[in-house]
Amino acid sequence: MRKLLALVLALCLCAGMVSALADGFTPAESYDPGERVFNGGEITTVKAGSGTGSTVGTDVYAGIEGKDYTDEKVYTYNDYAETIGSSMNWDPLSWETSSDSAVLDYISSGFYSFVLNSDKSGYSVVPEMAAAEAVDVTAEYVGQFGVQEGETGKAWRIALNQDATWENGEKITAEDYLYSIKELLNPKTLNRRADSYYAGQWQVYNAKNYLYSGRTSYDLITDTPENLMANGETVYVEMYDFYGMNNEGCVDENGNKCPKYLAVTDETLYRDAGVPEGEDGDWVSGKVVFETYFAAGAMYESYANQYCYTADIAPETTWDQVGFVMVDEYTIDFILANPVEEAAFYVPYYLSSTYLVYKPMYEECKAFWDADGNPVETEEEAATITTTYGRTLETTMSYGPYKLASFELDKEYTLARNEEWYGYRDGKHLGQYQTDFIKVTVIAEHATAMLAFEKGEIDGIALQSADMEKYGTSQYVKYGPNNGYTTKLTFNTDYDKLVSRGTNSQVLVIDEFRQAFSYCYDRREFATAYTAAGTAGFGLINELYCYNPFTGAYYRQSDEAKKGLLRVFDVKYGEGEEYATLDEAYEAMTGYDMEKAQALMAVAYDKAVAAGIYDGESPIEIEFRVYQSDEIYVKMFNYLNEHLQEACKGTGFEGKVTLKMTVDADYYETNYSGGADMIFTTWGGATMSPFTLLYECYCDACDGSGQQMEYGYDTSKITVVFVVDGKEVSDTLQNWALWCDGGAADHIIEEIGKFSDYDYDTRCFFFANLEAAFMSWYPTTAVYYRNTASMDSQKVQSGSDKYVTLVGFGGIQFMTYNYDDAEWAEYITNNTLEY
Amino acid sequence: MGKHYMGMYIAKRILLMFLTLFIIMTMCFILVKLLPLPAVKEMGRDINLVLAKREKMGYNKPIMVQYFLFWKNILTEWDWGVGEQMYEGLVVWDVMIDKLPYTVLVNLYSILIAIPIGLAFGIFAALKKNKWQDHLISTLVMVFISVPSYVYAFIVQYFLCFKAGWFKLTMPSVSELGGTLLSGRVFVALIPAILSLGFGVVANLTRYTRAELSEVLTGDYMLLARTKGLTKAQAISRHAMRNAMVVILPMIISDFIGILGGSLIIENIFGIPGVGNLYINSINVRDYNFFMAMSVFYTFIGLASGIVMDVSYGLIDPRIRMGSKK
Repeated sequence: MRKLLALVLALCLCAGMVSALADGFTPAESYDPGERVFNGGEITTVKAGSGTGSTVGTDVYAGIEGKDYTDEKVYTYNDYAETIGSSMNWDPLSWETSSDSAVLDYISSGFYSFVLNSDKSGYSVVPEMAAAEAVDVTAEYVGQFGVQEGETGKAWRIALNQDATWENGEKITAEDYLYSIKELLNPKTLNRRADSYYAGQWQVYNAKNYLYSGRTSYDLITDTPENLMANGETVYVEMYDFYGMNNEGCVDENGNKCPKYLAVTDETLYRDAGVPEGEDGDWVSGKVVFETYFAAGAMYESYANQYCYTADIAPETTWDQVGFVMVDEYTIDFILANPVEEAAFYVPYYLSSTYLVYKPMYEECKAFWDADGNPVETEEEAATITTTYGRTLETTMSYGPYKLASFELDKEYTLARNEEWYGYRDGKHLGQYQTDFIKVTVIAEHATAMLAFEKGEIDGIALQSADMEKYGTSQYVKYGPNNGYTTKLTFNTDYDKLVSRGTNSQVLVIDEFRQAFSYCYDRREFATAYTAAGTAGFGLINELYCYNPFTGAYYRQSDEAKKGLLRVFDVKYGEGEEYATLDEAYEAMTGYDMEKAQALMAVAYDKAVAAGIYDGESPIEIEFRVYQSDEIYVKMFNYLNEHLQEACKGTGFEGKVTLKMTVDADYYETNYSGGADMIFTTWGGATMSPFTLLYECYCDACDGSGQQMEYGYDTSKITVVFVVDGKEVSDTLQNWALWCDGGAADHIIEEIGKFSDYDYDTRCFFFANLEAAFMSWYPTTAVYYRNTASMDSQKVQSGSDKYVTLVGFGGIQFMTYNYDDAEWAEYITNNTLEY
Repeated sequence: MGKHYMGMYIAKRILLMFLTLFIIMTMCFILVKLLPLPAVKEMGRDINLVLAKREKMGYNKPIMVQYFLFWKNILTEWDWGVGEQMYEGLVVWDVMIDKLPYTVLVNLYSILIAIPIGLAFGIFAALKKNKWQDHLISTLVMVFISVPSYVYAFIVQYFLCFKAGWFKLTMPSVSELGGTLLSGRVFVALIPAILSLGFGVVANLTRYTRAELSEVLTGDYMLLARTKGLTKAQAISRHAMRNAMVVILPMIISDFIGILGGSLIIENIFGIPGVGNLYINSINVRDYNFFMAMSVFYTFIGLASGIVMDVSYGLIDPRIRMGSKK
């Protein structure tokens, strides 16, 4: 009987296997999306300098006429924060988060500041810690600090504000700037903000070399290891995190410990303490690890960009080789590695903050450690230095308009007027800084903050989507952009990665499938329903971005940018078309067309089956990774899922495609390794110069090694053709984006010169077409532009009702009061506040 | 003899407590160190500065070496490290010590107030068993037990703080309240939080006290006590309550532990800068030092409370002699 049962079971198993093999579908080995060429159009260019002006205004809003900003009354701005302790570091040299800078902004002043112009229509620039405009003194440094004969814009002289003092009244001189920058770049401290003077556009000559003098720093590879090695670079493999070789027993035959980074050609064998002696893999080398795991064709080839590095050994550099010179007691020079162009705007822009620390206090806050982490007495003996500067009331020294007056961890801090600040006496800040105290209280729960606002206990509140029903139409609501962010749906288009998941999500490689996805949801409906103040998003670049710093013109409002989006969403205008004018068509654009989405889905289905990447019957599961699964995320997910189902109706995909929501706190990292089908992505943060974004955020690397989130979307395989002044110029989208970023796009530069040679409207033309080119194959599709909605209490009045780039609503600097503290207390006791 | 066994028992439990603590800490340390640190990918920034900081913090050392250093620093210098991902640069122990009094105080107040009220309601309900007073109390108890404390917190905040205006919506700073935590003004400011935390404790205590006392009151010895000539009140306080407390006291202790861990939301709602959110934040941002310190704190509290609870049985009921071989 038992034998019979076993026989039946075996037969069933065999039958099952045969049936599985018979039904099994193996997707095609690869998928070729075909040639991708984008016609960028024709342009007659205008060179820079011949068009718009190149100066920034200096007129400043002087406050409400007739209002006394200096009366004896007391004005306190009551603010709130969700937390103040989780990131609490106001050390100008090492602060990290926006919560840190919230305090730092009040207790420090920049060299220059962008302020409301006289009619509040835009911004002006004024010197603060500087006494006047920076002067180009490059000629004085020819032969020094890498400055060549004939160069300009590389050395900038700043006359310092002689009235500037610390909060204790001590004068701030060039010595303070010298001391502070030396501490900023102190190789033993390795301050987090040190890169402010070498990683951005304002690169002080030799600053990085001084910081890392003689040290080797490792950077993740930005190309394949094979390409890098072919170019003569040495590639290293990380042995600790990846291979666990940081155990004491991991030594070579001479007892030398395995280093963290081993060259991929290094054949020195190290004992892997995790493997018993005599077994396979008991001794490994950098070469073995690389060839087994990360080399082309190896099992973790696609992870090479996370575990393989290139090394950079900084030359030994002394301070006198660094491009910072103290000219006299109140004058300093910055000598840069690269020239600054359009200096009238960009020098003040790059120097809108300072980095000063008060020497006596900073020295007291230092702690010295040897290489083993043991405390030592002096800086000379120390291998590393840590500091507690700017972490408590006692270790904070202001040189800005306010000073820290009280601080209770995770409870409250108060800033009081810094009476020693020059701005209260210099006559240049009339109609500004009426606020005497700023009190910031921790209110973690939004519901509590709303109650506090309605009760008059706090003077401003950030609104959430749930609040909009009640306050959306209030006269006190202010709408502003949220740091220029655009939220998008980003798709993985790497065929191998998608196939490896076994959920048939490889249909995402079909352009029409993604395009259908893009047409199937109503951006306006989505933004209204699920965001506090978001607006329908169509492009990569948010409405906030200003493309011409001298005129303040917004990129999204430019004709070229509008044309680009109309082209992406196939909206026609002009004679015989549905819309007469560009503006009319742009206003009417929704990006939502379910019929079109269904038609595209039908095409996508046929293409997927024809290409052999889908069997036409199996269920398709597209995994949508999200940061969290709170109510709003679930609603957004459900909305998109329902609309995707609708788009599939009447097509071969009907009833087969589902979106699956997966919560993944590290979803960005998952996406960068190609492990997600689709995610929400956002880019933004700066408000100026959108032209650099396309390369830096969207076209730098499609394999997750850079910033580009559209995994698998290789912009080096997309050709963009422009006709420039009658001459056809063709190159890859990646190179065109690099050109816009000011990079070494040699072929394009050879053909038509540098991007910065052209005026802003010409630049805008090129960029808008490149943005459209990127979006034309739908690796990502915008959902909404992030905005903020907030309310001011009836106690205060913002400097500007309208959001102004670089200035916002004017902040504390331009805030005025309808009631002083005593009047307000009485008012809220006797009245119910209505908003 | 009994005292000797009790002493031995306590000593044994304390030793076992430290052994358990050590094992839990070892597991926590190794497991948390196995978690990858947040990736460093910031456009336009030098990631080497972050990696150098991590190197400086010893993250590249073998885990067991880091573990050894962790214990060495604690045992030789009572050094729990400094904040890395949160409270950056601040000494972990100092931050905890700064914040702990708030948590202890609000919990202590709430339980000290809740105990007599809970007992009183429980006794009253037991004495009025199956009468309308009992039914009313039992219904309220079920309501307060079923509803989570943050719901009361919002109700208390809305009605007492916002509508009635009796209290501030969130606790004002200590400097605003006179500069010391142990003051009447601080107590008044904490009343909304104390109430929110206390409702559940009162309900729980009432329920247990009623149940235990109802059972005890029907015991033969209670009848005997009354026939001996004791008044009802004397019989209840000397006999019934003492027997009922065998169950109630451990529950009070466990309630205290419970509200220590559960005050995170209440602290957030009422702006009390206690340790409530330190633990969860340390996990979220992967701050090893805070995570370990908070793990020790909560594990120690839990283990120590277990011992106190077990020993309390013996103190209340002399018939219970733990550790005795007889």
